[in-house]
Amino acid sequence: MKSVRGDLMLGVLILLSVAAVPALFILAAGKSPVAAYGALIGYTLATFNGFAEVVVHAIPLTLIGLGVAVAFRGGIFNIGGDGQLIVGAIASVAVAPWLGRMPVPLGLLCFLVVGFAGGGALGALVGWLRARFGANEIIVTIMLNYVALQLLTWVIRGPLQEPMRIFPQSFAIPATVELPVLVANSRIHAGLIVAVVATLVLFVVFRHTAYGFRLSVIGENRSVAPFAGINDRRTIVQTMLISGGLAGLAGAVEIAGIHHKLQDDFAGGYGLAAIAVALMARLNPLAVPFTALLFGVFYVGAGALQRDAGIPFPIVWIIEGTVIFAFLAYDALMHRATAPR
Amino acid sequence: MVEGRPVPSYAGRPLLELVGIGKSFGRTAANRDVHLDVWPGEILGILGENGAGKSTLMNIIAGLLSPDVGKILLNGETVRFSSPRDAAAAGIGMVHQHFKLIGSLTVAENIALGDARWGRGMLRLTSLRKEVGALAATLGVAVDFDRRVDDLTVGEQQRVEILRALSRRPRLLILDEPTAVLTQDERLGLFRLIADLAERRMAVIIISHKLEDILENCRRVVVMRQGSVVDRAHLAGRNRADLVRMVVGEDLPAVVGSPERAVAAAPLITVENLTVRRANGTLAVDGASFALLSNEVLGVCGVDGNGQSELIQALTGMVQPASGRVHYHLQGVRDGWQDAAMLRRLGLCHIPEDRHRHAILADLPLTANYLMTHLGRREFNWRGWLRRRAVHDRVAAAISAFEVRAPGPHARMAELSGGNQQKFVLAREFACAPRIIVAAHPTRGLDVRTIAFVRRQLMRMRAEGAGILLLSADLQEIWEMADRVAVMAAGRIRGPVAVSETTLQDVGHWMTAR
Ligand SMILES: Nc1ncnc2c1ncn2[C@@H]1O[C@H](COP(=O)(O)OP(=O)(O)OP(=O)(O)O)[C@@H](O)[C@H]1O
Ligand SMILES: [Mg+2]
Repeated sequence: MKSVRGDLMLGVLILLSVAAVPALFILAAGKSPVAAYGALIGYTLATFNGFAEVVVHAIPLTLIGLGVAVAFRGGIFNIGGDGQLIVGAIASVAVAPWLGRMPVPLGLLCFLVVGFAGGGALGALVGWLRARFGANEIIVTIMLNYVALQLLTWVIRGPLQEPMRIFPQSFAIPATVELPVLVANSRIHAGLIVAVVATLVLFVVFRHTAYGFRLSVIGENRSVAPFAGINDRRTIVQTMLISGGLAGLAGAVEIAGIHHKLQDDFAGGYGLAAIAVALMARLNPLAVPFTALLFGVFYVGAGALQRDAGIPFPIVWIIEGTVIFAFLAYDALMHRATAPR
Repeated sequence: MVEGRPVPSYAGRPLLELVGIGKSFGRTAANRDVHLDVWPGEILGILGENGAGKSTLMNIIAGLLSPDVGKILLNGETVRFSSPRDAAAAGIGMVHQHFKLIGSLTVAENIALGDARWGRGMLRLTSLRKEVGALAATLGVAVDFDRRVDDLTVGEQQRVEILRALSRRPRLLILDEPTAVLTQDERLGLFRLIADLAERRMAVIIISHKLEDILENCRRVVVMRQGSVVDRAHLAGRNRADLVRMVVGEDLPAVVGSPERAVAAAPLITVENLTVRRANGTLAVDGASFALLSNEVLGVCGVDGNGQSELIQALTGMVQPASGRVHYHLQGVRDGWQDAAMLRRLGLCHIPEDRHRHAILADLPLTANYLMTHLGRREFNWRGWLRRRAVHDRVAAAISAFEVRAPGPHARMAELSGGNQQKFVLAREFACAPRIIVAAHPTRGLDVRTIAFVRRQLMRMRAEGAGILLLSADLQEIWEMADRVAVMAAGRIRGPVAVSETTLQDVGHWMTAR
């Protein structure tokens, strides 16, 4: 592990370049960078509403990011967070009418479990394809993202459509399976607890279980698996199940906490950002919620920039890209400086 | 000795001179105030126990590491290499102890990599094949330029690594344990070629724990211990025992001869008509039948690539055989194929041929490297929960029992010297009182003292009833240790026959018979 001082330096350098590069673009657009950053940071970190929204976005980012981290630890590139989230959400909404009659926390629990199972099934399918046929999981997950999107388009106009059959959206889930609001006057819901629990569980799994150990062994060097007697095919399927399951759980949480029904654009496109979330956390589950908050700032900041500073919101993507690049560049530099060769 | 060869001229100035080189990794001083000179046309030997700092020093010369203090003079001028490329441009080539080949590329691509002669954008592979093929022929080795390095055995990788270094026609060639997995013939071929090149004023540095390599080919030797040069000598008139004394600082007890069998031997593994295919479908093992007995060392020899690697992988549960049967006479064995983890639980341990590919996790700590093959034990894994404390204690004990030079159980594997990595693997595999030991080149890269220690351990386990399948490129080692010997050639097994009833000549003949 690297020194704390090294990591701190890394952070400072990232922040500096992150501020400098987008500033050029903002200047080019004829606006003041100071005003822009003021709007971005002021709203997201210094107002109650802004920060609450950051937290709301950080919840799914954390869950999907944890899923990405699990897979990457095993050397598997799960790019399918979006698709798994959608399938998880569809699965849980589909059974919601039955769950509604259960006693209160139990129905909700089942709702979340079904979401996990839905996303997990899709993930496990990818893992099986890879283990059985050597299919490239990157391509498969990207393709399944489109399949899932089409599936969503169909179910909300077909089998799960609202009773009036007018709007392209599903029926609303029963109130008994909704995640309650946690902080008054905000959208922060009990999904926050789910995300924190998932973080801690994953930390324990990585650190203290034989499964977590096997995963890091095959992630480190797949060719030792037959020597150590580790069944790497089974581990891959298990891992994709957990990874997809966490994305599916995020889908269920989004429905139960925010949307309460399926509609075309509920999924929010967190999948790609979650990859950056996991990588910047260095696949360490305890760091994932914090990097998720950072990306939450970008999501919420985009709106604030447009509204308060009159700056087109794509500038946020430039900032986001700069953050990722800066991170990669400095990480590579630090590695070169410290890695004993 | 090196009769008949011209004496290198120690007049003028040395090709390479090291002045006061020092290098530390954290608290480990790997090199301390090292002075060294190498002359054109000279073959210089470097000896020293595992972890003495030999590879570190050579990596400094080859531009892989930069020294903390000290100067490197090349032809009298100070040079400072910031990468292996700089050193290569200055005419320094190195055969690394840990091969620096890229597994996903072919042999030809690996040889071409970083060598401008074969083109930068488009590779001129035809001329490479011709030129390097001719070089291989003078070395007396066969190479298939189109195979992926991932599919090569260690011996084959070693040959490619040597060819790659030689094909660049260096002025100074560094060989870091080049012979550990070569057969006797390949070894002699290599040294013949090197002597030729030295006559044309190439300088060579050889690191080897095989004292014969040094004794037969070098004129001077430098001995290192704990990072420092402790002795330098001209080799004229010295013998093996002198070298042992220089390296170890004392005489070694003679290796225990094989005592007579105490117990009537019972079979531990019976193999019937075993056929194994390689990943690409070709036949590797063709209908092998034999038995490994208790209280015996069964030597398996053969020219590398004749199926012995695959035989071992099938016996140790790493690959499933295509047909045939392997039966383990161990308590609690079940029918059908068993993977490596199950076999380990039954009491079979395995020291694999390719340490880096199969047996270690370079970037993980020693604790993880240990746990990797002991994950089935209650002591460390209680219903899926790890007991890290227990692992830590076991690793600490293993390190001190085998005198592994490491900062502690949390050191990363990559921080250990090559020989110490091998010691750690041995310590780990011997940890659970195995009944069957399948060992490929177990003493690879170990210093003389440790070789004696490991052989004593193996002989002790044999006396206690274990059966040992010993794969070695070194016929001498087989002759010293084995009770019976079998030969693999073109996938077929010959023997086993009692060592006392055969000769080195016979076995050598079988190895090359088609
Ligand atoms: N990258 C590294 N990080 C930390 N320590 C290292 C590193 N490389 C080498 N060392 C330490 O430096 C010392 C010398 O190692 P080196 O590899 O030079 O030994 P060696 O003489 O080549 O031994 P061997 O005969 O086993 O190959 C050892 O104690 C080793 O643990
Ligand atoms: Mg070495």
